Amino acid sequence: MAKVLMKGNEAIGEAAIRAGCLNYFAYPITPQSEVAEYLVKRMPEVNGVFVQGESEVAVGYMIFGAAACGERVMTTSSSPGVSLMSEAISYIAGARCPAVFVNIMRGGPGLGGILPSQGDYFQATKGGGHGDYHMLVMAPDGVQEAVEMTMQAFPLAEKYRGPVMIMGDGMIGQMMEPVEFPEDLYVAPTNKDDWATNGMDTRKSDTKNIVKSLYLDPKVLNDHNLLLKSQYDRMKKEDVRFENYNTDGDYDALIVSYGTMSRVCKTAIDEMKAQGLEIGMVRPQTLFPFPEQAIHDAASKKGCKVVVSIEMSMGQMVEDVERVVKGKVPVQWYGQCGGEIPTPEEVIEHIKSLLNS
Amino acid sequence: MAFKHVVETERCKGCGLCKDVCPKNVLEISDTVSAKGYFPIFQARPEDCIHCTLCCVMCPDVAITIIETSDETPEKAMEAN
Repeated sequence: MAKVLMKGNEAIGEAAIRAGCLNYFAYPITPQSEVAEYLVKRMPEVNGVFVQGESEVAVGYMIFGAAACGERVMTTSSSPGVSLMSEAISYIAGARCPAVFVNIMRGGPGLGGILPSQGDYFQATKGGGHGDYHMLVMAPDGVQEAVEMTMQAFPLAEKYRGPVMIMGDGMIGQMMEPVEFPEDLYVAPTNKDDWATNGMDTRKSDTKNIVKSLYLDPKVLNDHNLLLKSQYDRMKKEDVRFENYNTDGDYDALIVSYGTMSRVCKTAIDEMKAQGLEIGMVRPQTLFPFPEQAIHDAASKKGCKVVVSIEMSMGQMVEDVERVVKGKVPVQWYGQCGGEIPTPEEVIEHIKSLLNS
Repeated sequence: MAFKHVVETERCKGCGLCKDVCPKNVLEISDTVSAKGYFPIFQARPEDCIHCTLCCVMCPDVAITIIETSDETPEKAMEAN
């Protein structure tokens, strides 16, 4: 298929349809509203369903309901809306239902602002909702990757039977880039008869499937949590994704950065290379599972004096970077938030000042 | 002859690319907020527009249209006839 020029939000909507998602529930919020605006028109054309919920709380449970029935289902929102959905995300994780959540992050806390930010790292990777659960969290760095991750999110949600989150930000949602929709990323659902409450008449098995997150017996609940944990451990083995940039040769410092921020860092790295300064970067494409080994190995490389986590937040991912670098080299944070995006010049200036100090 | 910018304020996200690209510095970012929460652009100096349409081409959200307007009021036009 030829490339088309699309806005990130609209491309995410189209990618969901290409992935076989015919159920989309959402509530408008800037900078995510274009997904809903696109799908309200597009869903009827493919006999899909779009419902605008009365709030994000309601939307969360619409997702739960559709997911429990074994349907491919997605919602999109932005930071404050995802906070409202957090309860449902915990229930969905507890009930082991596959669903896709897209967070087009904006500045916080509270209502914050509407411009790009990465302040929801903790919310996405460390919970948000209650209980021992995780989501598989993917962070695209542009419209093409947002499309690919959206299409892959549905089979991944079914593989691990849990919520998967795409962490974009206002920049990814609002920018236009040429994209294509790779047809080979469509994977048909395989396992839903084993767990979904999709009716006895069409199902191949004759056991009743029950979807629930309530386990009053402590031993049963403990076993249930061990089962969830085994899925998270499996994610860490099978679905860690990252990109190395300029790490083949030696480098004086290592940047860890994701999403929009990593695009800025790539420009900064290229400019520093032209000036004769080698800086490497690891870009986590999955925030959970975190690319622990890749960052540890890159930080341990001889000659690397410092690791900098560069984020559009006040220092969230840096805690994970510190955890995985395990004291091999000093770990620093640099960033801005609330809609301010560090420029390549500011990144260069900061890296140089770190190396000179 | 003057040229009037028609901005679809619900599509404009106030990115300012049009403002940067305008050779005549016609456009400014508004200080009133749109329904989506953005500060859209507006035509601050309409008399300077030369209808080059660079802003229309640059706009990633295709939110700008330029139309020709006549300086003549209907009364003036009738007097001239």
